[in-house]
Amino acid sequence: MTRVVLYKRFERFWHWTQALLIIGLVITGLEVHGTFDLLGYATAVNLHDILALALIVLIVFAVFWHFTTGEWKQYVPTRKFLREMAGFYLTGIFRGAPHPVRKSRTAKLNPLQRLAYLGFKLLIIPVQVTSGLIYFFYPELTAHGWPAWTLKAAATTHVMGAFLLLAFLVSHVYLTTTGHTPLTNIKAMIFGWELMEEE
Amino acid sequence: MQQSKNKTQGSGSSKNRWRPGRPPRPDHGPALLKWMIMTGLGIAILASGAVSAKAADAPAEKADAHPYLQAHERASTMSTADHSTFAALKGPFPEGDGSAVTDACLTCHNKAADQVMTSKHWLWHPERKGYEDYGKGTWLINNFCISIRGGNYPACTKCHVGYGWKDSSFNFKDPHNVDCLVCHDTTGDYEKEAAGLPNPAVPLDEVAQHVGRPGLANCGTCHFFGGGGDATKHGDLDYTLLKCDKAEDVHMAKDGAGMDCVDCHTAEGHHIAGPDYPLPADMQEKPAYPGQKLDHIACTNCHGEAPHKSFVLNRHYRKVACQTCHIPAYARGSEASNVWWDWSTAGKLKGGRAYETRDKDGNITYATIHGSMVWKRNVKPSYMWFDGSMKFLLATDKLPQTRPVWINRPDGSYADPNAKIWPFKVHKGKQPYDTVLDKLVTPHLYGQKGSGAFWVDHSWPAAIKTGMEISGLPYSGHYGFIRTNMVWPITHMVAPAKDALQCADCHSPNGRLAALKGFYLPGRDREKHESDLGWVVVMLSCVAVVVHGGGRIFFHWTRREK
Repeated sequence: MTRVVLYKRFERFWHWTQALLIIGLVITGLEVHGTFDLLGYATAVNLHDILALALIVLIVFAVFWHFTTGEWKQYVPTRKFLREMAGFYLTGIFRGAPHPVRKSRTAKLNPLQRLAYLGFKLLIIPVQVTSGLIYFFYPELTAHGWPAWTLKAAATTHVMGAFLLLAFLVSHVYLTTTGHTPLTNIKAMIFGWELMEEE
Repeated sequence: MQQSKNKTQGSGSSKNRWRPGRPPRPDHGPALLKWMIMTGLGIAILASGAVSAKAADAPAEKADAHPYLQAHERASTMSTADHSTFAALKGPFPEGDGSAVTDACLTCHNKAADQVMTSKHWLWHPERKGYEDYGKGTWLINNFCISIRGGNYPACTKCHVGYGWKDSSFNFKDPHNVDCLVCHDTTGDYEKEAAGLPNPAVPLDEVAQHVGRPGLANCGTCHFFGGGGDATKHGDLDYTLLKCDKAEDVHMAKDGAGMDCVDCHTAEGHHIAGPDYPLPADMQEKPAYPGQKLDHIACTNCHGEAPHKSFVLNRHYRKVACQTCHIPAYARGSEASNVWWDWSTAGKLKGGRAYETRDKDGNITYATIHGSMVWKRNVKPSYMWFDGSMKFLLATDKLPQTRPVWINRPDGSYADPNAKIWPFKVHKGKQPYDTVLDKLVTPHLYGQKGSGAFWVDHSWPAAIKTGMEISGLPYSGHYGFIRTNMVWPITHMVAPAKDALQCADCHSPNGRLAALKGFYLPGRDREKHESDLGWVVVMLSCVAVVVHGGGRIFFHWTRREK
């Protein structure tokens, strides 16, 4: 068995900070939406704005990191083992079959993860950031002639995006338990490495 | 409403008129002043005597007196004239002869009357273009005492800055008719009666010798009593403001800024800044040329356009008037404001006599001469878009199709960049109208017995017929009563910041703006079923997790069994 570093220090920092920020944004966002009364509307709005700003800063750093390190290639979709992965989640996992894809430093994500995370990065996050920015700067935008419906459109999109994020979060957390042992993946995301058999 | 709620016009309460406190000043001040004058300027002994006498009876002051109180004091010491020493004001003035005092004033201020006679306080109609008929002196109608034009001049013109407007023949060009004292009396002893003439008991000599800058009570003697009694009409202006605490009004309270009306409603040539009938929104004025004198009507002229620490709060300014959040309720003093006035029940007699009933707070609930009334304190305003202009239904206009009839309505909408959400008092009631011509009528209310005046003869057919004859409007002879609403913008009684509305007062489904439709308000509005759809997606995700996870555990177990 050997230790393979899968997640580097910045990557782990980015992942967990993003996780906390998004959970905070979901909670404060749902309060602004009127789902519950927890912090008070004013606090929720202010916190939501601050967390959003922090997340945008983090995203800027993460984008920089992905391109300078070449890590973006990890997210390029592939068909290789796609069928096997789907089969593993649908049947193999119940039979105790071995994981069909072997992780390595240069290919740490299985084909389904690649698709899911790429969708997350290229769809959900940009939609949330864009709709959020339009929502926040609506007073300035409308003063420059943006039509009134953009506020409602941005708000509705933002809310739907938030629910998608929440659904993603639920599935994501569950799927971390599908590793070698239920905690293998989470430990790897915390400490950065996983024990693997040598080739 | 003439006598009913009138608590202040009696000389007793006007004696209690509150005067702004004075700022701290060194004890040796007046003495030093006196010494300088005694040694150097013997000629001015009289004036110095007046100054030191004034300072001597000043109460002990807190060291932290508000800058406004200090400014008032500075201004009062900088006057270049002591009116008590002028020969022209020595008197004695004939009893009740206000015009004699006016003539004396005009011997020095020889252009003052010309200025007053072009002002809206004199003309009772606004100067703004397109609103020529909107003054109460013209065809404007309300749902309090309805109209001056039905021969009600003497009752209404008690509050005119003139003497003797008792019918439509009043001479608006005669300087002799101008009333200087109602605005400039500083003694609190001045009082006007029918047709604006001074009460004969007013000590005119004393009053004339103590004229000065108008204080709260000068403006209040009319503006607190709109609708005929204290707090009746406006809701945000009543007699309690003279002695209010900061919680009632941060600007006028003596433990607050201690401001006078004219600190904001500044004057130039006797034209007082303020609303015509169409009211200005709270837009910040910009000088048109360097050094242009601006009034201080707009909150922003003193507080700036970014008075909050929070960026998010400051930007509300685009769509929300300051008043909307900072005046959480009107009639916040001890006086209730009239919110319902039903003329249709007026005229009932008990044992052949007019009568009235009152609630436990002393507010009239029924009066033969007025009908049924409802009064409320601490009332949440209604909110509407307002761009500073209003449309009024005049006595000469046909009624609109919609019911109830809105006598006035603020202009503006969400789409209008100049309109903001403003707080309003909505005054509702029932008033007489011509059922055939479909117009509101101008009943004759005030007059002698037998003249048809409703307040003494209690007969609607006679009161309406006479009123329409006097006003010169056509009348079919058939009348009924119709529901009318009127709006009054709320702009006084600004509360301390801590009492301002909080976000969720509006940003919530059933908040204060629940009825103001036509735009998307975060926290209030949402796409139908958007949450339901969202939760379905989340729940599907959870179900998948439970099924998949449950399956794994189950098969893991059965494998172990084997």
